[in-house]
Amino acid sequence: MKIAPKVIDQIGEAHERKNLYLRELAALEEKAAAAGGDELKALQKKIAELRRNKSEHPYQKELAAYRAAEKNFLAQLKAEEAREKAGQPDDDPALAKLSREIRQSQKEEAFYEPYVELTYDAELAWRNAVVKLRHLPEMMENRRLLNEHIARVQKEKQTAAAHGDSAIKAQISAEKKLIEKKYALRNQELKEKQKSGMISPKAVHNESRVLKRAKAEEIQMLEMKDPLCSKTEELRALQHRHKVELKEERAVMQADLSDLYRRIPVETEDHLPLRAWVGSLIPGLSQLLNQQFVKALLFFLSGLFTFLVAIPYALGFGNFRGQGIAGLISLAEGGKRVDRSIIFMIEGIIAIILLLFAAAAYYFHIRDSFHVEKQRLKGIRPNRWTETRQEISRNGFPYIVSAPALIVIVFIVLLPAITTILLSFTNMDPKNQSKFVWIGLENYKTLALGQGVAGKAFWLILGWTVIWTLAATTLAILIGFFLALLVNQERIRGKRFWRTIYLLPWAVPAFITIMFFSIMLAPNGPLTEIISAIVGHTVNVKSDTTLTRIALVMLQGWLGSSYIFLLCTGILQSIPSDLYEAADIDGARGFQRIRHITVPLVLFQIAPLLVTQYTFNFNNYSIIALFNDGGPFFPSLYGNLAGSSDILISYIYKLTIDKQYQALGASITVIVSAVLMFISYLGFRKTKAFNS
Amino acid sequence: MDVSLNNIGKKYEGREKFTIRHIDLEIKSQDFCVILGPSGCGKSTLLRMIAGLNSITEGELLFGDKLMNKVEPKDRNIAMVFQSYALYPHMTVYDNMAFSLKMRKASKELIHERVMEAAEVLQIKDYLYNRPAEISGGQRQRVALGRAMVRKPAVFLMDEPLSNLDAKLREHMRVELVRLHKRLGTTSIYVTHDQTEAMTMATKIVLLNNGVIQQQGPPEELYQHPANLFVAGFIGTPTMNTFAGQIESGQFVSEGGSFTMAAPEGMRELFAAHEGRKITLGVRGERFEEGLSDLNHLEMKVEVIEMLGKEQLLYCTLKDGKQCVISAPGYKKYTTDEDVVFHVKPEAMHFFDTESGLRLENLSEKK
Amino acid sequence: MQKAKTKTKAKKAEQLYLSDRRPLTAMGRVMLALSYLLLILWAVAILWPLLQMLVSAFNGGQSKYISLTGDFHFSLKHFKFLFEKTYFLIWVKNTLIIAASSALLTLLIVSFTGYAYSRYRFSGRKASLMSILLIQAIPVFAGITAYYTMHSIISAIFPFFTRQALLVLIYAGGGIASNTFILKGYIDSISSELDDAAHIDGCSNMQVYRLIIMPIARPMLAIIALWSFIGPFMDYMMPRILLTNPQSYTLATGLFTLINDVRKMNQPAFAAGGLLTAVPIIILFISLQGQLVSGLSQGSVKG
Repeated sequence: MKIAPKVIDQIGEAHERKNLYLRELAALEEKAAAAGGDELKALQKKIAELRRNKSEHPYQKELAAYRAAEKNFLAQLKAEEAREKAGQPDDDPALAKLSREIRQSQKEEAFYEPYVELTYDAELAWRNAVVKLRHLPEMMENRRLLNEHIARVQKEKQTAAAHGDSAIKAQISAEKKLIEKKYALRNQELKEKQKSGMISPKAVHNESRVLKRAKAEEIQMLEMKDPLCSKTEELRALQHRHKVELKEERAVMQADLSDLYRRIPVETEDHLPLRAWVGSLIPGLSQLLNQQFVKALLFFLSGLFTFLVAIPYALGFGNFRGQGIAGLISLAEGGKRVDRSIIFMIEGIIAIILLLFAAAAYYFHIRDSFHVEKQRLKGIRPNRWTETRQEISRNGFPYIVSAPALIVIVFIVLLPAITTILLSFTNMDPKNQSKFVWIGLENYKTLALGQGVAGKAFWLILGWTVIWTLAATTLAILIGFFLALLVNQERIRGKRFWRTIYLLPWAVPAFITIMFFSIMLAPNGPLTEIISAIVGHTVNVKSDTTLTRIALVMLQGWLGSSYIFLLCTGILQSIPSDLYEAADIDGARGFQRIRHITVPLVLFQIAPLLVTQYTFNFNNYSIIALFNDGGPFFPSLYGNLAGSSDILISYIYKLTIDKQYQALGASITVIVSAVLMFISYLGFRKTKAFNS
Repeated sequence: MDVSLNNIGKKYEGREKFTIRHIDLEIKSQDFCVILGPSGCGKSTLLRMIAGLNSITEGELLFGDKLMNKVEPKDRNIAMVFQSYALYPHMTVYDNMAFSLKMRKASKELIHERVMEAAEVLQIKDYLYNRPAEISGGQRQRVALGRAMVRKPAVFLMDEPLSNLDAKLREHMRVELVRLHKRLGTTSIYVTHDQTEAMTMATKIVLLNNGVIQQQGPPEELYQHPANLFVAGFIGTPTMNTFAGQIESGQFVSEGGSFTMAAPEGMRELFAAHEGRKITLGVRGERFEEGLSDLNHLEMKVEVIEMLGKEQLLYCTLKDGKQCVISAPGYKKYTTDEDVVFHVKPEAMHFFDTESGLRLENLSEKK
Repeated sequence: MQKAKTKTKAKKAEQLYLSDRRPLTAMGRVMLALSYLLLILWAVAILWPLLQMLVSAFNGGQSKYISLTGDFHFSLKHFKFLFEKTYFLIWVKNTLIIAASSALLTLLIVSFTGYAYSRYRFSGRKASLMSILLIQAIPVFAGITAYYTMHSIISAIFPFFTRQALLVLIYAGGGIASNTFILKGYIDSISSELDDAAHIDGCSNMQVYRLIIMPIARPMLAIIALWSFIGPFMDYMMPRILLTNPQSYTLATGLFTLINDVRKMNQPAFAAGGLLTAVPIIILFISLQGQLVSGLSQGSVKG
């Protein structure tokens, strides 16, 4: 790396170096790069000499003199400031501060002016002072006027309070009554108009809202006629201005100063990002070296999280029971009785998540320090907190407000999901509840080959699940769509009535309906008796696989049709009637119209929703569990783990919760989730939102 | 307040090219400056940069002597009227207009006074307590203006505020806006793609194309002395007639050779300097005069007549098939397929360099 | 055919034919009658079981089992049983608390993310939208084994962290992805010029969110809140997994004990409880049917 001949500011413009020593050095280095042989050697020698005699360089001497003078000046300034602060107590500290700043800026302007050509730092300081002097007097004048204004209003308020004019009060309350009367009258007029049918209830609603608002406004303005009230309000507004106006003006000035800061480069002799290298060890250090104190503090806090929380936790300190990441491998093998493998596993995952957070924070720290350092070497000044804060408030908002969502998703959705994935590679079963070990893909093998108690049932259940999903959902869709077509015929009367009735299966909580049907179809249930009476012999739905399955599909058809019905109704009503009229003119009649216009239109619009309906039924635990709890049971076929109407999700439930085959349950869950995610990925890939 | 833009440029993130660049603009206090240009020329971007809604990539934006580049929109003391009006649908008209003052916690009396004042001027007093959805488009437009007025801003920004109105209302609002500007005297910056709006309202027009200022100045200057072919074609209806040709022995000879024009007085030297150069002649439709003259004449055939009442537009074809539109007074009688002869006064001719599009006079200046 | 119909019409000679519709053909009449028949049949299929539930809730002639054949005499004894002998009121309270806090939490989180995703172009936006979509597809039951253990770990640190609280978090966490999507779609349809206007009028980012976007998005927020309320209200699986003590049950798990447990079984009381639960929800659904459906369809159509 060599010294660049020019420095670049944040906007990207190049500036001539003011540091003559560095300029000389850069020029020599540039020559050296182009030269060869003896000339190169001579130049290298010259460079080395220049470097060695750095402190003897006239520019460096001048610079040192300037630095000393500046130090002296600043100390003087500080002393003066302290003296002034102690000296004159002012009624408005802000005003005192402003005048102090003006005096300071004047002195700064005078001091730095001769050095402007010497170094960019001085130029920055000088131009800072100039900008401040452009803003500050106006701010001070505004502030003074505002203070006077407030004092005046305060006085006026006091007089108003002292006089306490009761006549005005009486007048106001009289006028208030008038206003109230006026509006009561208008309201009455409205109501009468409505009664006589001249305007609709909606219009009346709107109009009365308007009246109410108008009345409130009028009364408020009336109350302002009382000078006390009016002055109080005025004072409140002024005091708010007193609070914020100066801040806003300072923000404008600050923007001006920040712009200077961006446009006046900095010169440094460093040509390696040393500060970044050094600082990368401890988060915040390199920011501290660049005097970015707040940023340094923030990164330091993230460092505290890394070194005091994430890493110790990963090493096993501060865990609830586990051993951090090590626990993931050992799974509490050979531990005490309270040391349960599952806890070790979860804490291991938590440790990894924490480490990931820490790594992200560290990555940002490294990236930031190298970025800032590289910029500084080019000539760009590191952002101060004002600039950084501006950037954060501009670009950081979405991250800040999404943080809670991220945390909830990571710990409530992802953590359990990862646990399940890991569990599927263990042997957690009734015999290995407290302690289990890694067994690789054994569970998946068991399932794939249909081995053992659990595996045998798997394929049977999978088959029924697929049939159930297709049959139940399709039935509901057909019923719902067909009903929507029927109800929305032109000639059918009482559309609202039908719609309300057909809404009911959706509106009644499904668990209640299912439980009720479960009772009705129980061995001695009322519906069973009725069916038996019709058929002539006892029909026990719940102990017959086929009948149970048929009952389930029909029940879901009953339950699910409502939603489809409503959806289709909405779409049917939104089909423009001229489409039908056009079809009429083209000669399409009755069924043709339905086939060529209605069905494609409706299907096209509800297709994405139908996918969710299928996945919903695939996961419809409630209906299976509540209706017959997966029964009837045939241990010869299903072992003692499931019944013949169980679908995968209720099977998973039984495996995991009732029978404690958690590992097997987890493997099925993983398979099912993967398939579901793939399906929904296919579905969403084409939606607008995804592509936008 | 004066608004000045020094070398302003904007590059959107992820795009290679600057959307607009090298914009230098001085807007004097109390000016009504219209930024005009075809869609996509960057005029809205420019306005949004002045408002602080888009960041400024390079250059300086000054209000008075204060640098505004990084100042928050709310601290710039501006008001803006949007194309879609951007009225808050959940607030009444009154609350919409009062919102900016309420955000500043102004006193209720002041708010009331300002809102009533604006409502009075804009004649919207009758539905102050209705919601925007309950009033008509024209009324909403007024409310949007009112909302901006209530603030008494230092600079008034308008982004195609009339484009959602129907033609009749738009005409009416144009006059209203000019009247309003006269009354308030606020520096206004108005963005539009409609040259009629620009011509009728502006005290200063800035014509943008492809992110570059083509010409700026008072409307008559843009109309009378278009700086280049783009300006000539953009300003004025019907569009200025242009004829390609070249300078041959100090004369303009049209491409097909169907007519020649002697160099106008005072441009002879220029013509001599650019002997042989391909140039384009521009003539406004209303500057054709019937009959012959000593210097030039154009023979053409009337194809279509568009009668507008006070004037009529004659769509004519020259001998060489070149089209040309002439605006003639409405009382004169023309028939289709009639052969007519027109001439052009020297001062009505505009000459442009065909290659660069620049006005011939400007071309030599640049050399 | 057209002529045959004009003849029938001609009988009522003076009557003017005002309708835009074509007059009915004979075939059309049959079809119409058939349509009505089908409509009535389905209405019966819907109403019969619901009426049976209504009747058995009030039928004092039953003991532990529902019977449709016995005599009906009006009585409130099943309701009395429900209130006095079961934890019905506690279940109602639990359900309401869980459902309401899930809805609130979801709303709080989602209103921010929906706003952020709609209005800001930040790096990682597209990638996180993609992951949101995939996360959305993970079924809630995927983590059932972990939930127990997580609860025992957290409650060891924070003793007040009940299983119901975990339930709320699970419901809220499960709803973030899809609801963010729905709300983002809705906010996308609000002109961003409104944001600009508000910024110029003096709002900070947070104020734009609070004073402008949230009030305008209120219809969609209401729908999201409603669905986030109804979901937990109707869920049976998660409470069954996580809640073990009858006193902490929700309505779904609680009412199930009335028909499931042979010793405690009381089917008519279940009918009474079901009725009490269903009626408010039915009223809610009927009055808000339009919004509910549009809320559901918006999610995937608009995205």
